[in-house]
Amino acid sequence: MHILRYLAKRHGYFFAAASVLTATAAFLPGRDHFARAQWALLYLLVVGLVAGLAGVRPALGAAGLAFLLWNFFFLPPHNTFAVHDSKDWLSLFVFLVVAVAMGTQTGRLREREAEALAREREMAMLNQFSARLVSDSSISDIAQLLMGEVAQITGARSAALLLADEEGNLQEHRSCADDAGELESSVLCIAQWAQAHSKGVGLPPITRRSDTDAAGWPISVDHVQAGASTHREDLFIPLQTIDRLEGILYVGQRSSGGPYRVSDVRPLVAVANQTAAFLERKRLQAASVQADALREADRLKSTLISSVSHELKTPIASITATIGNLAEQDVEWDKDKAAHELASVQEDLDRLNSSINALLDLARLESAAWEPRREWYDLADVVWAAHSRIPQKQRSRIQVSLPEALPMVFVDVTQMARALENLLANALIYGPPDSAVLLGASVEEGAFRVWVEDEGPGIRPEERERIFEKFYRGRSSSQSTPGTGLGLAVAREVIRFHGGRIWVEDVGPRGARFVISVPTEGTPGPL
Amino acid sequence: MSAPEKRPHVLVVDDEEQIRRALRSILTARGYDVALAASGAEAIECSLNRLPDLMILDVAMPEMTGIEVCRELRNWFEGPILMLSVISGDTDIVAALDTGADDYLTKPFSTSELLARIRALLRRTASRVTPPPTIHAGDLEIDIARRTVKRAGQEIELTRMEFDILSYLAQNADRVLTSRMILEKVWGPEYAEDAQTLRVHVSHLRKKIEPHPSSPRHILTETGVGFRFASSEPSD
Repeated sequence: MHILRYLAKRHGYFFAAASVLTATAAFLPGRDHFARAQWALLYLLVVGLVAGLAGVRPALGAAGLAFLLWNFFFLPPHNTFAVHDSKDWLSLFVFLVVAVAMGTQTGRLREREAEALAREREMAMLNQFSARLVSDSSISDIAQLLMGEVAQITGARSAALLLADEEGNLQEHRSCADDAGELESSVLCIAQWAQAHSKGVGLPPITRRSDTDAAGWPISVDHVQAGASTHREDLFIPLQTIDRLEGILYVGQRSSGGPYRVSDVRPLVAVANQTAAFLERKRLQAASVQADALREADRLKSTLISSVSHELKTPIASITATIGNLAEQDVEWDKDKAAHELASVQEDLDRLNSSINALLDLARLESAAWEPRREWYDLADVVWAAHSRIPQKQRSRIQVSLPEALPMVFVDVTQMARALENLLANALIYGPPDSAVLLGASVEEGAFRVWVEDEGPGIRPEERERIFEKFYRGRSSSQSTPGTGLGLAVAREVIRFHGGRIWVEDVGPRGARFVISVPTEGTPGPL
Repeated sequence: MSAPEKRPHVLVVDDEEQIRRALRSILTARGYDVALAASGAEAIECSLNRLPDLMILDVAMPEMTGIEVCRELRNWFEGPILMLSVISGDTDIVAALDTGADDYLTKPFSTSELLARIRALLRRTASRVTPPPTIHAGDLEIDIARRTVKRAGQEIELTRMEFDILSYLAQNADRVLTSRMILEKVWGPEYAEDAQTLRVHVSHLRKKIEPHPSSPRHILTETGVGFRFASSEPSD
């Protein structure tokens, strides 16, 4: 049955002739058992079969052939085309009319059915394709999928997706070619022409009124009009959206040769249109992400200005007031009182200095101007470097507890020391005055740890992530304690550069412990 | 501090008026004889007129930088030079120390630290005779000639490199030696850039001579610059 269908489809006329001849050969031995009109009915059956399997034109051929053979073999006198009985002429005429009518009708039905089937397959394919487009795929995923579909639909030897950049120049995004080489320059030329003129090239014109997708059909010209030197049989389908051409879908010659038919190109146009819509959506999405980023940068800038102006101006105001007070002639300042006032000036200055440092750090980290330069350092040196940067007056509050010996670690010492310094500075600010701050370090399998522990109010569980964000200040602290809200953000950034982790945990009965853990990278190589 | 018989003469070189003013007030109050210079050229002029006992030199100055001044001065000036910089671990500081400066401070610095450094530098030049063949620091005893090191009377075995590093540092006690200086001295000029190697050796050395290697008392790190040998226990 399969072979019959295949024959009927690919070699309709041969199938028609073979069917009628086979039937005739089968009928001949029984020529005398039935009346001649009954043979006519059997021939009609064969014509109907041909029409059903091979379509209108082969059926008409079969009808004609059956007409002749019936006349030749079954109407007396046998084995001639002569007809004796004039009533037989009528039979012959009626047979021809009925056979032709039946062949035409049945054939048409079959063709409609085939067309409906093809459409259904197209629809299923398009549905699948559009489902993939709606899901959040990347452009290269879609390009790959598209190339697969094109190959399946057309069996083309090569195909390519050419996407237009900002200036409308085409960039080859993906191609599948059997020779795996680059596209010919003539292809690129025509594609560029198609892009510039917003037209398809090489698409067959739509002639049939029944074709309902004429709406989405791109305006197309032939290859020579598009600047090709010779006639070609490949396709350039524009990826058209309402206000822009996203690119060109190039489909090479079909593997079986010959020009593309409307029915081949229709699904291609449909996929191309869907791809265009997808690309447009991607482009708009990217634009909106960019706009979001700009808005966020704007918001940060204004937060920065308000936070920083507060952080810088408060100590300056306080210093100005204190100094002004001391400079007044109307009060006799005894030595102790003056020293007390000056100590507060010193504190304000330390605060100013650390704010400025935090700002400079963050600016450098974010502009990526502070590439980590990792080298081997004694972990103890890193810890002490951070320790030594804390203003001397505060340093006495820090209790350092290190194991007897610490290993060499692979870090950017300046950055790492800054991160630790920020943790220490935080602990000193948030712990109650004169409370101790613990600085510790340890080495475990594959990582080293440094932690800073304070006796402050601790961090609420819901804030333990957020406190590492820029400008976020813990709720318990917001107004009362100084700080730019940058120290932890800088620390996190630094630790991230080193592939490590930073987190905060509770220590009982009260206080917070900030821990950094950074993977170690073996030991320094041979020296 | 203690009123010396002869007041030490200190030349302050900085292009910032405020810093010059502050340093003059700090130093004159402690009995130093202070001269001020606002530029490198002026500094050289001043020191030719009257040789200072110590010079405080800003690294970042327009026209002639602190490094250039330092290089120029070292042709004939042997007194201690203390450099000032804005960024800690600044490459300029390292360059200045390499060209012969003795110590450095990062702005903003505390007054007490500045005074301590100045005292240490002046003490060192005052006792500048041939370095003693045996150096004592805490319970450490370094015999330069015999190439032996004892801790609390107990001899410690050091590799050749380790001893060379230790003796070079100890002979320049309280002075910052840049990694480059140590590398050139111990390994040779072609190894001058390999600070990493030096740090590894120092780490080993500390494990042998320091009571608590992770909290060193003798060999102190100047992050991003080099090392300093502390002859006495640190004050802070």
